[in-house]
Amino acid sequence: MRSLGMFLFTIREAILRGTLIFYFVVATIVIAFFAFAIRVSPDDGKSLMILGNIIPSTLGKGITINPVEFVLLQFQKSSASFVVFFGIFAVAGLIPAMLEKGTVELFLSKPLSRTSLLLSRSLGATTGVILNMMYFVVGIWLIFGIKVGVWHWGFLLSTLVVALVFFLFFSIVALIGLITRSGGFSIMFSFIIYMLSGLLRYRTTSLYRLWDNTVFHRTLDSIYYAFPQVGEMLDNSALLIGTSPFDQLKSALVDQPSSPYLPFLYSFISATVIYALAIRYFSKEDF
Amino acid sequence: MPIVHTQQLTKIYRSGFVKRKEVAALKDVSISVERGEIFGLLGPNGAGKTTFVKILLSIVFPTKGQAEIFGQKLGALEIREKSGYLPENHRYPSFLTGLQTLQLFGQLHGLNGSVLNDKAKSLLELVGLKDWGKVKIKRYSKGMLQRLGLAQALMNDPEILFLDEPTDGVDPVGRKEIRDLLKDLRAKGTTIFLNSHMLSEVEAISDRVAILNKGEVLKIGTVADITSTKLEYEIQLDQIASGQLCEKIRPLVRELKGNEKTLIVAVHDKNDIHTVQDLIRQEGIFVESMSPRKSSLEDYFIQLIQSGEGK
Ligand SMILES: Nc1ncnc2c1ncn2[C@@H]1O[C@H](COP(=O)(O)OP(=O)(O)O)[C@@H](O)[C@H]1O
Ligand SMILES: [Mg+2]
Repeated sequence: MRSLGMFLFTIREAILRGTLIFYFVVATIVIAFFAFAIRVSPDDGKSLMILGNIIPSTLGKGITINPVEFVLLQFQKSSASFVVFFGIFAVAGLIPAMLEKGTVELFLSKPLSRTSLLLSRSLGATTGVILNMMYFVVGIWLIFGIKVGVWHWGFLLSTLVVALVFFLFFSIVALIGLITRSGGFSIMFSFIIYMLSGLLRYRTTSLYRLWDNTVFHRTLDSIYYAFPQVGEMLDNSALLIGTSPFDQLKSALVDQPSSPYLPFLYSFISATVIYALAIRYFSKEDF
Repeated sequence: MPIVHTQQLTKIYRSGFVKRKEVAALKDVSISVERGEIFGLLGPNGAGKTTFVKILLSIVFPTKGQAEIFGQKLGALEIREKSGYLPENHRYPSFLTGLQTLQLFGQLHGLNGSVLNDKAKSLLELVGLKDWGKVKIKRYSKGMLQRLGLAQALMNDPEILFLDEPTDGVDPVGRKEIRDLLKDLRAKGTTIFLNSHMLSEVEAISDRVAILNKGEVLKIGTVADITSTKLEYEIQLDQIASGQLCEKIRPLVRELKGNEKTLIVAVHDKNDIHTVQDLIRQEGIFVESMSPRKSSLEDYFIQLIQSGEGK
C-alpha cells in the first residue's frame, strides 16, 4: 500500500511532463479529426469511408484486406511506436528526479524498501505513459464503435501489451538513471539503446554483411538479446488486431521467431536480469 | 534502554573511479540518546553530522560499527516507520501543493483516506501554513519550505524526530516558532535529535549535546556540564583596581583580565574566589557585585574545535 503512494505520485509526475502533454494535444487533434472524417458509406451501409473516400478491400493485385482491421492496425502501430518513442523522452528523467539531492533522502527515509521504491516508480512511469496511449486508443475505439459499429476488443487489449513492452524496456531506463543520476544522460543512453536494439533487429540482413565473421555475428546476437526486444514485441502486439500485408515485407528482412510469444519470453528474462541488477545497485548506494 | 545507541560507528566515503579518494566522515562514534530528550549534535560543516543521521535511517551504509534504534538493528523497516526526518537542503517536487506534499509522504508511511487528509491539514495548521495548503510549493519561501519539511517529518507521529539544520534559512521569528514547537513535541514525549552548526540554537533547547569535529566525538554532556566548567567570575568594584592589587591576585588565579572597575578572574577552585574577595577588601575597595560567567556553549565549542585543530 505504501508503494501505491509512490506509484500514484509517479503517474502524476509523468503525465505532467511536457512531452506527454504534447502527445495529449496531438492525440486530441487526431481523435477530433477522425471523429469527423470516418463514417460508413451511405451507399452500401458497410464500406469504411475516410473523408468521403472508400477504403478498398483489396490492395493492388490479389492482396485482400479487411478495411476496418487494416485502419485499426495503422492506428495501433503508429500510436504504439509514437508512445514508446515519446514515452522514453517523457519518463527517462523520472528515476534521476527521485534521486535528486534533497529529495532522495526524503523517499529513502520512509518505510519502503528500495526495491519497492524502484519498482513502483517504474510501474508508475509506465502507467503514466500508457494512460496517454489509452486516451488515444479509447478515443479511436469509440469512434469505430459508434460510427462504424465495430467494437474491436483486440484493439483495446493491444494497449496492455504495449504497457508490458514499455515496462520491460524501462528496466534499462531505470538502470541507466540509477547509474548516471542525470536526466539528460538517462534520456540519451536510453535512446541509444532503443535505436541500437531497433538496428540490431535487422542485423542478419545488414550488420552481418559488414564483416562475415561468426564471432562478430554472435556478438551482435548477444547484444540484441541482452536488451528487451521492443520492435518485435510491438509488432506482435498488433497481432491482437490482425495481420497486415506489410508484415510479409518485414519478414523478408528479419528472422521471425517460430512463435510470436518468444520475443516476450526473451525480453522478460532480459528485463528481469536488468531490474535485478538495478535493484542490487540501488540497494548498495549511499545517498 | 536508550532509543538510539551507536557503537564505534565509522563511515569512510569512497569516491572516484580512477583516483580513489577516501573521506573518513565518522570515526568510532558512540552515542546514546535517551527516550524523551532533545539531543543536539554540534559541529562545524563537514564534521559528519548529516552522515551520522543518514546512517541511522539507512540512507548511507556504515563502513564499520553498530547501531540500534528502538532496539532494532540498522536497516529494519520499523526504524523508519517510527522516525521522522527533516533532511538538510530538502527539496520537494515543485509541481505539488503543500497539502499534496504532505499527502504523498503520509501515503509512503501507509496512511490513507480521511486519516491522511486530516493529519495533513492539522499539521499544516500546526506549522502555520494553513492558508498555503493549496498553493504550489514552487511559490513557497525558504522559511515556509522549512516549516513544510517539519510537517512532513511529523506525518507519522514519530517517536524520534531527526532534524538536520532545521532553522537554516528561517528568520528569527520563525526560529523561535520552531523552537517552541520542538519543546511542545518533547513535552508530548517525542525524542528529538537535532543536528546543527549553529550553537546558540542548540544551546537554547537541548538537554544534552555531543560535539563532533572531523568525524570524532570530542565531548558529550548536558548543556550545563559543558558550559559551567570555566569557573570564571566577573567582579564589579566601586573604584579602579590598582596595579598593586592586581599583582597580589594574579598568583592565586588562572587568569586575570579586566579594565578599570571590572575584574574578570578565572580560578582553579571555587573557594579561591573568597580569597580574591578578601584581598580586594583589604585594599579598602568595595565589591559592588560578583557573578559567575557562563561560557556559552559557543565559546566552549570554538575552544574545543581550536584545541582539536592544534593537536
Ligand atoms: N556522498 C558523499 N561522498 C563523499 N564524501 C561525502 C559524501 N557525503 C559527505 N561526504 C564528506 O563527509 C564529510 C562529512 O560530511 P557531512 O556528514 O555532510 O557533515 P556535516 O553534516 O557535519 O556538515 C565531509 O567531508 C563531506 O565532504
Ligand atoms: Mg550537514
